[in-house]
Amino acid sequence: MGILRLSHVDVTVTDLDLASAYYTEVIGMVLVERTADSVYLKCWDETDHHSLRLSYAPRVGFDLMSFKVERDDDLSELENAVARYGLPVQRLSQGDSVGQGESIRFETPSGHTMELVHEVRKLGSALPRLNPQPFVYRPGGEGGLPGIAPPRMDHVLVTAEEVGESTQFYTDVLGFRVTEQLLDGHGHQVGTWMERSHSPHDLAVVSGPNGGLHHFAYWLDDWDHVRDAADILAYNGISVDVGPTRHGITRGSTIYFFDPLGTRNEVFTGGYRPDPDFPMITWTEDNAGRAIFYYEGELNDRFMKVHT
Amino acid sequence: MGILRLSHVEIRVPDLELATAYYSEVVGLIETAREPERVFMKCWDEHQHHSVVLVYAPTHGLNSFGFKVTDAADLDHYARRLQAAGVEVQRLEKGEWGPGHGQAIRFDLPSGHRMELVHGMEQVGNLLPRTNPPPRPMNLTGIAPPRLDHLFLTAEEVDTVTVFLRDILDFRLTEQVMGDDGFQIATWLEVSHTSHDIAVITGSNRGLHHFAFWVDDWNDLRSAADACAYHGVHIETNPTRHGVSRGQCLYFFDPCGNRNEMFTGGYWVDPDAEPITWTEAEMGRALFYYDGVVNQKFLTVHT
Repeated sequence: MGILRLSHVDVTVTDLDLASAYYTEVIGMVLVERTADSVYLKCWDETDHHSLRLSYAPRVGFDLMSFKVERDDDLSELENAVARYGLPVQRLSQGDSVGQGESIRFETPSGHTMELVHEVRKLGSALPRLNPQPFVYRPGGEGGLPGIAPPRMDHVLVTAEEVGESTQFYTDVLGFRVTEQLLDGHGHQVGTWMERSHSPHDLAVVSGPNGGLHHFAYWLDDWDHVRDAADILAYNGISVDVGPTRHGITRGSTIYFFDPLGTRNEVFTGGYRPDPDFPMITWTEDNAGRAIFYYEGELNDRFMKVHT
Repeated sequence: MGILRLSHVEIRVPDLELATAYYSEVVGLIETAREPERVFMKCWDEHQHHSVVLVYAPTHGLNSFGFKVTDAADLDHYARRLQAAGVEVQRLEKGEWGPGHGQAIRFDLPSGHRMELVHGMEQVGNLLPRTNPPPRPMNLTGIAPPRLDHLFLTAEEVDTVTVFLRDILDFRLTEQVMGDDGFQIATWLEVSHTSHDIAVITGSNRGLHHFAFWVDDWNDLRSAADACAYHGVHIETNPTRHGVSRGQCLYFFDPCGNRNEMFTGGYWVDPDAEPITWTEAEMGRALFYYDGVVNQKFLTVHT
């Protein structure tokens, strides 16, 4: 009932070959399909067709974020809800986009193209459904997955000029639940973290230009895997933004880094399990540093200013 | 809407003082209420009043267990479904069963286990403030798992209980061990998009194999084993890996003989995920992936 979880993130890249090489060999995603201008990738434990689409464009950017709904009739219910809010909704038929069935698309008040989808082509995970081993080999080696090899995509963080207004849309119209908020000195929201999947966040919004992507994040199983990820990033000469460190917000452990074209990635683990009646956590401006990076206690300029 | 997750377990103990000392000092639960014959406890990150209730009894074992529902209306919805299937349903008003307890319905599974669905348990808060909280409390005792995770029952007819949980209560099957005779030896089911919230293995009706607490990672399992060993707790299985659920685990017994587990790992499950099947020949690996053999004590001892 309603939105289940993040389905896929579509970003533009200025060099499709370089980006594909990075996402397959350093991140360790599986290349599922390649068209003239796009590459579709998934993580090893994902059964759906793709969780990342890279498209060629003259500049790096953010095309859309797609969320999966639990039931077929959720699409028309949410389509009506978005239309009632006063936003035009586009309906895409089966075959309009690679690897998935019907979907709806609309531009959110924060200027992001959002898609909701139910039917996605099932490709299966890297493990069989009969007597599966409980792990995949990583990194590299015979029969092993290259790179960091996260099991799945986790969440997306976008930028918006009006965090409060945009949060209200995501909660009131789409049913997201706010787990944590960061307030400025006047009590206005400058960041909100929202969930549908009983995790600390599936979607977060922070102050910045409308339509911007701050980062998208992969799930890792634990802090040991975060350390391995840091090793792999350093070995491959990837530009690390922050980490490994701990968030105050979400309690998660994290590394931020950039793909070779400049889109920020995160690997994330930890957090907690909020019920729908979870009492929201509030962070005040004087604690903003710890809210974002608990160990550093302060924000770096690049983290605040760079987005795509 | 619907059943959300495991809420609490009600565990029989013949020595209430000893059990309370163990669950508070070794496991690291927090006592929230006490009666002459019952002690109510919760994990540090849980907001609800209790997740483990110890009840004085001449024997050990499971008295009842409860799942949390999202809305009060879910209680009526499932009461109707249960009654339509010929299951007797008992209603409990808020606070009627015990301090802090919510509104609930109670009924028996085909295996004789007493199950409850509960809504509106008193929220007492976790140990952290709601403004600028640190990522964990610094004054925890013992293993201190953040929350209760799942429970594992024994039943004479695993398939009957599994069908009941699926068809009447909307649980979804994630994994099963199939006997060579085509019957389910064990099943794992979820409502919370995790590898399992409840599991059933062939054994006596009304039996409890274990209940499990969540810990955050493999490092915490090692610390938990250290704490158990330090306190002289009987460790049954060292930190190891399950084939089923991919989880990592540590099994040990409370001083009254109830099996506890610390569990971490697993995977996210969509509601339309295809179940995983293990064959009888691979049952050893299904349960303990590193050992790969069926441990007789693990299969035969339950409460």
